[in-house]
Amino acid sequence: MKNYDLITPEGTKDLLFGECVVRRNIENTLLKLFKSRGYSEMITPGLEFFDVFNMKSRYFPQETLYKMTDSKGRLLVMRPDSTMPIARVVATRLKDAELPLKLCYNQTVYRNESALKGRSDETVQAGIELIGSEMKMADLEVISAAVDSLNAFGLEYSLELGHIGVFKALVDRLEADEADKEYIRKLIENKNFPALNDFLDTFGNTAVTAALKKLPALFGGEEIFEKAEELIPDENVKRILDELREVYRDTAEICGKDGNITVDLGLVNKTDYYTGLIIKGYLKGHGEEVISGGRYDKLISDFGYDIPAVGFAVNVNAVSKVIERNGILPAEPSTDVIVFAEEGCEVAAIKQARELREQGFIVENALFGDIEFVREYAKEKRIGKVVVVSCEEED
Amino acid sequence: MNKPIRIALTKGRLEKDTVGLLEKMGFDCTAVREKGRKLILPVTDANLEVVLAKANDVITYVEHGVCDMGVVGKDTIMEMKGKFFEMLDLGFGLCKFALAVKKDYNFYSGYGIKTIATKYPNVARSFFEKKGMDTDIIKIEGSVELAPILGLADGIVDIVETGTTLKENGLEVIENVAPISARLIVNTVSLKMRQNEIEKLIKLIEENIK
Repeated sequence: MKNYDLITPEGTKDLLFGECVVRRNIENTLLKLFKSRGYSEMITPGLEFFDVFNMKSRYFPQETLYKMTDSKGRLLVMRPDSTMPIARVVATRLKDAELPLKLCYNQTVYRNESALKGRSDETVQAGIELIGSEMKMADLEVISAAVDSLNAFGLEYSLELGHIGVFKALVDRLEADEADKEYIRKLIENKNFPALNDFLDTFGNTAVTAALKKLPALFGGEEIFEKAEELIPDENVKRILDELREVYRDTAEICGKDGNITVDLGLVNKTDYYTGLIIKGYLKGHGEEVISGGRYDKLISDFGYDIPAVGFAVNVNAVSKVIERNGILPAEPSTDVIVFAEEGCEVAAIKQARELREQGFIVENALFGDIEFVREYAKEKRIGKVVVVSCEEED
Repeated sequence: MNKPIRIALTKGRLEKDTVGLLEKMGFDCTAVREKGRKLILPVTDANLEVVLAKANDVITYVEHGVCDMGVVGKDTIMEMKGKFFEMLDLGFGLCKFALAVKKDYNFYSGYGIKTIATKYPNVARSFFEKKGMDTDIIKIEGSVELAPILGLADGIVDIVETGTTLKENGLEVIENVAPISARLIVNTVSLKMRQNEIEKLIKLIEENIK
């Protein structure tokens, strides 16, 4: 039998030294940011029952889930997402808690990605969920937290807004079955203009098909709203667009000159999940979004508690990658003092090292028998000070 | 001047057709025509950088965003899938996926599970899945036409251009699976971060393929 004892599974990796510093810096920055806005941290189990992720609308295709069974033979999965477990907790232990709830998390999610594509199966996500408010202010609160998160990395970024309602209003007016609607959604998501045009032609040339054809092209700055209103003469859509435009303007003002705010009415991913606003964040130099979120007012009702929610998650792995690629790798904090114990004086040396640490220094205990080796080691590791502890001194 | 936009081209015929298109658009592609063994070549007046790659790799590079755009056949897109925007049908590289069997063989008869040989297992699988048909799919790397002749498979799903190879080997197309042509694909983030440049380029391409 072949042994795999020297390697890690595909899509996973060991992080060493500087890589850990980058990762922890991002995590700490984000958690601090969330907490400074009044969000409380939650940690949910890495293992969950499959049923939590197998709701009416399956947000997570089963082939992407890591599955196993518990001692009773029940199907478990490695958590593929943090929002669903949080929704579960909200609908159970937090059911009587005062609303709105402001929750944040920083934990790993597991997804079985296709092999050899360079994707990670194990991803750290740090994010927030604002539960129990439908106000525009709730949307703005979450958007501004996303802006601040992107801003925290000191890199060129772009935040994009969308609204699933535009697509839903249009596609509902189309005489098509669910499979066709899903196909249209997919073509719009992929901005696959050729196939979208061909497929919509089979539904005749109506105002609705014309609008759907244009939907994936409606992305850019504020001018998109005028274009959209011209193209889509629909009362419901107009109301949604007016709301989104206000949010867009506010966001641009919140963001100022720091980043670029755009809108894409062709953002139609995860339509079962999102019910309104959609948020995406991009960092220059990364080929996929680093922030993904939006409003999901129906999700928690899957768990029997009908309350609205809005939130987002930052892909910490992606941000680390961009930071490492930009060469902004911080060094690990280096040792200030090394303490050498003369023979028989180990306890005194350990005590002295502890005292120095209490004063705020980074202190190592020397692990060589010979002081000359210690001095050489200190020189190599650029440790400024060598302390020699002999027992007489300690008395 | 901004950093050039990187466009990955599928080496071979699609590369030549794309270079032809770029020249028709008025750009100087001398560097690409006289490439030697180089794999990354500038088209300075278009502020483009052409990357030459195998079809599957074009998708990989665009997906990861190390290339902003790519030109690749619909055949590769159907087989590989992936996350990118498929924005234009370039109208060249025309052919089709088809199901072919030995001449006069009645493929849909009988209860037995049929065996299909193909270089495109995902395309073949989803084609028969839609029909609700269980099939055994065998991946073949070279001339797929051999498989039914040698008795390994009942049929093949493969790219057909003129059908000459099939005919010469005693096979015939019994069903079309999907039409194929070259597509312009764009990385999802590049389109947003460099919207003006990319939209301008796409518009120019559109004007020149009509």
